[in-house]
Amino acid sequence: MRQLLSRTAGLSREDKGLLCGLPIFVLTVLAGWVVWRLTADLDSIEARLITAGNITQMTWDHVQIVVVSSVLVVGLAVPLGTLLTRPALRFFSPPVMAVANAGQAAPVIGVLVLLALIIGFGFGTAVLALSLYAFLPVLANTITGMRGVDQAVVEAARGMGMSSWQVLLRVELPMALPVIMTGVRTSLVLLVGAGAFATFIDAGGLGTLIQTGIIMFRYPILVSGAIFVALLALMVEWVGRILELFLKPKGLA
Amino acid sequence: MNQTTATAPDGSGAQLELVDVVKKYPGQSRPAVDGLSLTVPAGQTVMFVGPSGCGKTTSLKMINRLIEPTSGQILIDGEDITGQDATQLRRSIGYVIQGGGLLPHMSVAENIGLVPGLLGWDKARTKGRVEELLEMVGLDPAVYRDRFPRELSGGQQQRVGVARGLAADPPVILMDEPFGAVDPITRQRLQDELMSIQEELQKTIVCVTHDIDEAIKLGDQILILREGAEIAQYGAPEEILAAPADDFVADFIGSGSKLKQLSLLRVGDLPLSQPQTCRVGESVDEVVRRVEAAGERSVVILDAQNRPKEYLFLRSLKRHQTVPVFSHELQTVVDQRSTLSDALDAMLVSSHGGAMVTGGSRGDYLGVISYDTVTEHIRTLQTQTGQIRAVPSAGWEAS
Amino acid sequence: MIEFIDARWADILFRSYQHSSLVIQSLLLATVIAVALAVLVTSCRRLTPVANAVSAVGLTIPSFALLGLLLPIVGIGTVPSVIVVSFYAALPVLRNAVVGLQGVEASLIESARGQGMSGAAVLWRVRLPLAWPVIMTGIRVSAQMAMGVAAIAAYALGPGLGTYIFTGLTQVGGANALNYALVGTLGIIILALILDALLVLLSRFTTSKGIRA
Repeated sequence: MRQLLSRTAGLSREDKGLLCGLPIFVLTVLAGWVVWRLTADLDSIEARLITAGNITQMTWDHVQIVVVSSVLVVGLAVPLGTLLTRPALRFFSPPVMAVANAGQAAPVIGVLVLLALIIGFGFGTAVLALSLYAFLPVLANTITGMRGVDQAVVEAARGMGMSSWQVLLRVELPMALPVIMTGVRTSLVLLVGAGAFATFIDAGGLGTLIQTGIIMFRYPILVSGAIFVALLALMVEWVGRILELFLKPKGLA
Repeated sequence: MNQTTATAPDGSGAQLELVDVVKKYPGQSRPAVDGLSLTVPAGQTVMFVGPSGCGKTTSLKMINRLIEPTSGQILIDGEDITGQDATQLRRSIGYVIQGGGLLPHMSVAENIGLVPGLLGWDKARTKGRVEELLEMVGLDPAVYRDRFPRELSGGQQQRVGVARGLAADPPVILMDEPFGAVDPITRQRLQDELMSIQEELQKTIVCVTHDIDEAIKLGDQILILREGAEIAQYGAPEEILAAPADDFVADFIGSGSKLKQLSLLRVGDLPLSQPQTCRVGESVDEVVRRVEAAGERSVVILDAQNRPKEYLFLRSLKRHQTVPVFSHELQTVVDQRSTLSDALDAMLVSSHGGAMVTGGSRGDYLGVISYDTVTEHIRTLQTQTGQIRAVPSAGWEAS
Repeated sequence: MIEFIDARWADILFRSYQHSSLVIQSLLLATVIAVALAVLVTSCRRLTPVANAVSAVGLTIPSFALLGLLLPIVGIGTVPSVIVVSFYAALPVLRNAVVGLQGVEASLIESARGQGMSGAAVLWRVRLPLAWPVIMTGIRVSAQMAMGVAAIAAYALGPGLGTYIFTGLTQVGGANALNYALVGTLGIIILALILDALLVLLSRFTTSKGIRA
């Protein structure tokens, strides 16, 4: 805890506010929902769908999709981005950036449905589609971050006799980390939102409640789903911020 | 919108008066400006100097009410401005700040035409005024009119800033460290230009600076402030240098105050000597004969436009058949409006113990100022200052 | 595929028009609201962190969830679509407008005031023009997002190319399922790229040469 406090010292007021405010907000809304659930007058369909067990199961499905996709994304996009900033491959990075930017115009729901129609419905397809979708921001931020590393520092490190591996692992990556982490956090949050569409291709998740609510015209189900998806996204944002804080090299502003 | 013309029909300066002006910020025990009273006669340049945090910039900004005075009166031409509409007021007061403060998204012409535009001048009149002002600050309108600030050097930006301050022909102009952001050589040139503009326009100028040399050079009056904008001394540069009111002022103007008086005197104030001259393209034999007949060993070379090109010993010239063309930048030339201390700097790089003097906008050759003339003058000054010191301190020490 | 497009040419064009119309209208609405909010927020120092936190948290909330939250309140139709799309479009513009307006140097504003510009003149002729390139970048981000959000809004609310994607989904196994999804997705990508190109042009024409990068 003390370490956490010492690390927040350099943050702006709004960042500090979000760090404390997010969990409080999430817990408050959660408590409000529980109170509503216990007192509300629900019909049988609603009561059957909105149970603690059901919601836990859906949340777990949702988290699984998000976690697997993000591990895939980070594991592939960061090394690829790094590779594309090496001198030998550097000329590749502008076209890749252009494609990455253009690719962000693709609507995730479209990619998801297309993939499902081609390779079939289910968990695997959801993970693949979501990974494709979240891949681009992480790749773009990795390239941007690595390019932003002060070349004078890199030269100084080389001048001290570091090998190019050592320069990469001990100088470039740590200095590019804040930018990369911002990309990762953005992607994680995008993944939670996109994960809500997994229900359309039978991959489960909290989106199921929203979809069911819309189809069956049951607002309690719809709103419960929406609330849980939103809360999950906020929690992931918060975890991302904490991770960012701890992974950032201490000397960097 | 007629304030400008109403207060000063001929466009020249108006009298500016501060009466017991106070600025107190909430939560601070000491006022930033504690009862400043001051009269600036019409058409004069007053330099506000003092250590940082003394309240000189605050005092300046209260005149155009970028900072609202807590109490007190500010009068321009006898009229209290503290009750006027601040935005309207500012359109009738020129404002020049460090670096120019130009709006980067507007062209040079748009920047200068800003205040005329706010005052509702028609397009043709504004355009004509912009051209006139660009000429005045030495920038060719055809070249610079449509440029953007980032396409100009620091010195050029500052020139445009001065032009903008003059745009609506305001009787009073405020300057906040106007030349603080440029290199020393450019600064000296801009100061010279401002002085010749002021000679012509006779505005009332209030200028904040931290550079005492700049204050001595530009100011008709110097106001030295200490913390809380308390007046340490207010007077003409000569008086302050000759008779500092107390230790604070003496410390502030520095130990070289005798030498600082060199900043008061212009090269044009001293007699120039007229050594032999020759023209580019003349036969060297003839020139040597003429110069030796006059009993001299060196000669000033002028080009066809009568501009000095070089100051050479005959033995160097004898290497050539005819007087050659010299195209390098001369460091030993000063304008007749330059101060003696500028001239001394130029002499230090001369092997002749003198600097060539030019005048007018085209840089015509006027003569040579010699080191001996300057030192002779310093000697007479020293005897004189002894006398000034004996006179009880007169004049500008304000209430 | 070619036959598919050929047979529905008019319908595809109409839906593209609906989609762009929804996005552009929402974008305009969002820009006006966001810039106005940014002006308000930057003139009151205490509100700035609040605005930044709101835009950060707002962007976190998934569009599908917001849609779900709004449906019970505003019902089904075009209005909720405009609200949902505008909400997302406003957030990047708000964030960038705040950054852009704060980025205008205080000394420059004071210099402009010192020349006799009124508060409104300083806003319209100094602060907004100088912040404009940053605001335009925000609008471009918003436009891309709005295209995707509009596709999702189609699930519950109707108009645009998004319906093609969902038609493809419901006809799974049918002959045209893939065609529907493909035309919907590619159509949105193409519209997004065209809109982005137009915004780049607009940004170029509306940004002074003196501050163009």
